[in-house]
Amino acid sequence: MIEIINVSKWFGEHKVLDNVNETINKGQVVVICGPSGSGKSTLLKSLNGLEPFQEGDIRVDGISLKDPKTNFIMLRQKMGMVFQRFELYPHLKVLENITIAPIKVLNQSKSKAGQKAMELLERVGIPEQAEKYPGNLSGGQQQRVAIARALAMEPDIMLFDEPTSALDPEMIKEVLDVMVDLAKSGMTMAVVTHEMGFAKEVADEIIFMDEGRIVERGTDKSFFENPESERAKEFLRKILI
Amino acid sequence: MLNYDFKWSILWSDPYGGWILEGVATTVKLGILCCIFAMLLGIIIGTFRITQFKPLRIFAEAYTEFFRDIPLLVQLFFWYFAVPSLLPEGMRTWVYQEIPDFEFWIVVVGLSLYSSSRVAEQIRAGINSISPDQFNAALSTGFSHYQAYRYVIIPLAVRLVLPPLTTEILTIFKNTALAMTVGVLETTFMSQQVEAYTFHGLEATTAACVIYMIITLIVVGVMGWIEKLLAVPGLIIRKGADS
Ligand SMILES: Nc1ncnc2c1ncn2[C@@H]1O[C@H](COP(=O)(O)OP(=O)(O)O)[C@@H](O)[C@H]1O
Ligand SMILES: [Mg+2]
Repeated sequence: MIEIINVSKWFGEHKVLDNVNETINKGQVVVICGPSGSGKSTLLKSLNGLEPFQEGDIRVDGISLKDPKTNFIMLRQKMGMVFQRFELYPHLKVLENITIAPIKVLNQSKSKAGQKAMELLERVGIPEQAEKYPGNLSGGQQQRVAIARALAMEPDIMLFDEPTSALDPEMIKEVLDVMVDLAKSGMTMAVVTHEMGFAKEVADEIIFMDEGRIVERGTDKSFFENPESERAKEFLRKILI
Repeated sequence: MLNYDFKWSILWSDPYGGWILEGVATTVKLGILCCIFAMLLGIIIGTFRITQFKPLRIFAEAYTEFFRDIPLLVQLFFWYFAVPSLLPEGMRTWVYQEIPDFEFWIVVVGLSLYSSSRVAEQIRAGINSISPDQFNAALSTGFSHYQAYRYVIIPLAVRLVLPPLTTEILTIFKNTALAMTVGVLETTFMSQQVEAYTFHGLEATTAACVIYMIITLIVVGVMGWIEKLLAVPGLIIRKGADS
């Protein structure tokens, strides 16, 4: 479903992705972890064309991102994305946050999009917040709205960039529960997170990045029980205490 | 002691009262038209300044610098005297004599362009204070760049820059006074004319001062109302947290 082939990217002189290779199959959940600045966000954003890259190629359902004919708008409709700081539209009510893309991009009717949005709000557990503004919601609620907003476009793939790291501890679980449900429903997911409980529960593969490279990859057991590289060992020690 | 003979009644006696009212109407019409054009142009140019597309960016930068760096009075003279002088003789006379309210529209053009460059700067600053991931989030749902600006970035930027925009609008209304230099019969011109006919300059100028103050208070009131209307929970707090 997603093939990342020898991808390298520079910001000026600085190489932030270094020959990255990875395949994510349909229905798989891949967790990406690694220290801050290792290129996780950049890798995720390059998957839906938000960050261009200089070398290599990425194919989504066989469509090459390097092909000048590729329509990124169509591509992104099939890939939902969730950000660390939620990035809801603060001037729109919760329901409008969810319906605006289906209405404007897919030309859905207001009532159809609204009905779908209410179903999604039920699914993430906050239908009673539909008429509020994002600024009046807790962080955990906002992130659940962000997930619903992404799902409203009925994507085949969901990308998560540290979805719980801006949240207070008591709200992390409510967001992770939604993500676990999503994973179990068969959604293809690429998740940047340090929530190792989540990784253990649903990840098919965990990749560990450092300085733009994938240093180590494994299933949850092999990765947690005996990481090979020193960097991964050190990283796990830090996040597991 | 002052031996100035106050005679406030000239302000509402015929024909002077009528002149002043006519002047106010022209000032208000001029100010409102220039505000509308300056806002529309300013939003477009300000957005161009931060797009990915380089030719647009360069055009917008040149535009902003050009109209911002030259004194407004010089710009008005440029539009009023210099541009028509490039026209052939016959056409020039026609322009000055036959276009109804030629001076008025020249000031609309000159003041709108000048003010739009200042509005563009405010809009650019507003857009730059929005986190890039807000834009990414909009794109990630399948919006085109145009849609992301139209539905997300510009509505946010306008809210963020409402306070500085209020200042710009006030400046536009005050700058309409310069229109008298090309012969537009607005408030300042009319108050000068009342003085010329009556030698009661103090009353006439005081009237102009009071009129500009009332206009200012109305603008502040209207903008405060718009700010309340568009207020969004958490927007300002968020802005602080991001920076
Ligand atoms: N827009 C940018 N311009 C220049 N450098 C950037 C930009 N975005 C990220 N970087 C750099 O790229 C590297 C990887 O960043 P990022 O992908 O955000 O890492 P991570 O998400 O793993 O913390 C960092 O060194 C960061 O400073
Ligand atoms: Mg990151």
